[in-house]
Amino acid sequence: MQNKYQEIHSNELEELLNSAREYDPRAIARICEHFLPKIYQYVFYRVNGREDAEDLMNEICLRVINSIRNQQGSFTAWIFRIASNMVTDYYRRRAVRRNVELRENTIEAVEDKSNMPDKLLIQEEVKQALLHLTEEQQQVIILKFIEGYENDEIAVMLGKSVGAIRALQFRALTSLRNLLR
Amino acid sequence: MPPYRKRMMDRELEKILDDCISELRKGKSIEECLAQYPEYGLQLKPLLELAQAMERLPAPEPAPEMISATLVSVGQEIARHRKKKNRSVFGILFQQPRFAWALSVVFTMLFGLAGITTVASGSTPSDFLYPVKLVTEKIQFLLTSDGEKRAELRITFSDRRLKEMKSLLERSGTLDTTLLREMLDEAKLALGESKVSRETAPVFLSKLNHFNAYQRDVLEHIRSQVDTTQRELVDEAIEICDMRSSWMRRMMDEEMEQRPIDPQASPRREKRGSTRYEWGPGCDWMR
Repeated sequence: MQNKYQEIHSNELEELLNSAREYDPRAIARICEHFLPKIYQYVFYRVNGREDAEDLMNEICLRVINSIRNQQGSFTAWIFRIASNMVTDYYRRRAVRRNVELRENTIEAVEDKSNMPDKLLIQEEVKQALLHLTEEQQQVIILKFIEGYENDEIAVMLGKSVGAIRALQFRALTSLRNLLR
Repeated sequence: MPPYRKRMMDRELEKILDDCISELRKGKSIEECLAQYPEYGLQLKPLLELAQAMERLPAPEPAPEMISATLVSVGQEIARHRKKKNRSVFGILFQQPRFAWALSVVFTMLFGLAGITTVASGSTPSDFLYPVKLVTEKIQFLLTSDGEKRAELRITFSDRRLKEMKSLLERSGTLDTTLLREMLDEAKLALGESKVSRETAPVFLSKLNHFNAYQRDVLEHIRSQVDTTQRELVDEAIEICDMRSSWMRRMMDEEMEQRPIDPQASPRREKRGSTRYEWGPGCDWMR
């Protein structure tokens, strides 16, 4: 599967970024249009509640706007690094421990799964299982299979080698498979 | 098995799994991938099935009101930065925490969230809230999946650019060429965007044609208000409208007769029951 969203070509993105750094609303609107769904999707799978994901999306967008003048290097890698840092902050802020039972209990209390279509049920199961993986494994799975990036792109985003991404992918898929069995 | 040997085997399996995932993305089936590595079939199969299932998961969608709220914040943030760049005496005052706080309370009480977007909807590029309007439009479009509704939105956006262009021209006496280009682009994209059902195709084409004629009339009116250099641009835009009009007439004729005029001019058939139309040469703004 290729990337799920209409791509911005690197030349176009570079032009947009130059304008966005001057706070040109058209350029920022175009960048938002492209990246907002990706960011939401990323955050959706990394935190438990839908509302928390929406709040985080809002915070990430504002952080991006406020720091865009200092952005350098790969924009995609930069924006996902911001998202990742803010997810880490989120867990730190709420002092959420990686306590599986607690999370499962919370989600059971919030979500009524009885009327969910099959695909959404699978989505929810995958999401819950993902939360049991290490942070790096979660990132690799989400960026590769949910966002549709290739290993070399993920390597740049996470600052790792392609070989390390392959190893993380293998371990993450194996763990997920065991969790979902 | 010694640990180094196990690590080597793991590395090999990691590589094979990754190769198979790449092959799946290129369209191969799981069975075809497994046939290449029968000795790893048992380990690979569940992992590949899982990878494929994850890639087919539906994209999660945030609540529309949340998107809207995020975009309002984004638009306000852009406006704040732009304002800061052009800071004046009032700007310095605005930066004072007490003043900013008081102003934000008044602002929130006056408009509220929905109010800001409503006020922004009437703004032009020189206005404080114009960024809110643009970002909101983009996402409104992004959240619309129905082809015909997306096409309608394109027409709406094109109409807004036209109104903004007129309003700015009246205020400043200069034609905003970016707005002119965007007006033409949005109208062009309305046709490419839509996969129109056969039942609604004539209505849609006729609506777009009327809108195109309206744009042409406005451009004709504007023509006399701009200087010679800009008049050339307006003339070019009028020519594009004429060209589009003639293409749309051909499309409508063809739709009525249900037979292609010539292979190059015929709209591309997508599938039974729907049609995707494409503009012909001369309909693009080339600048």
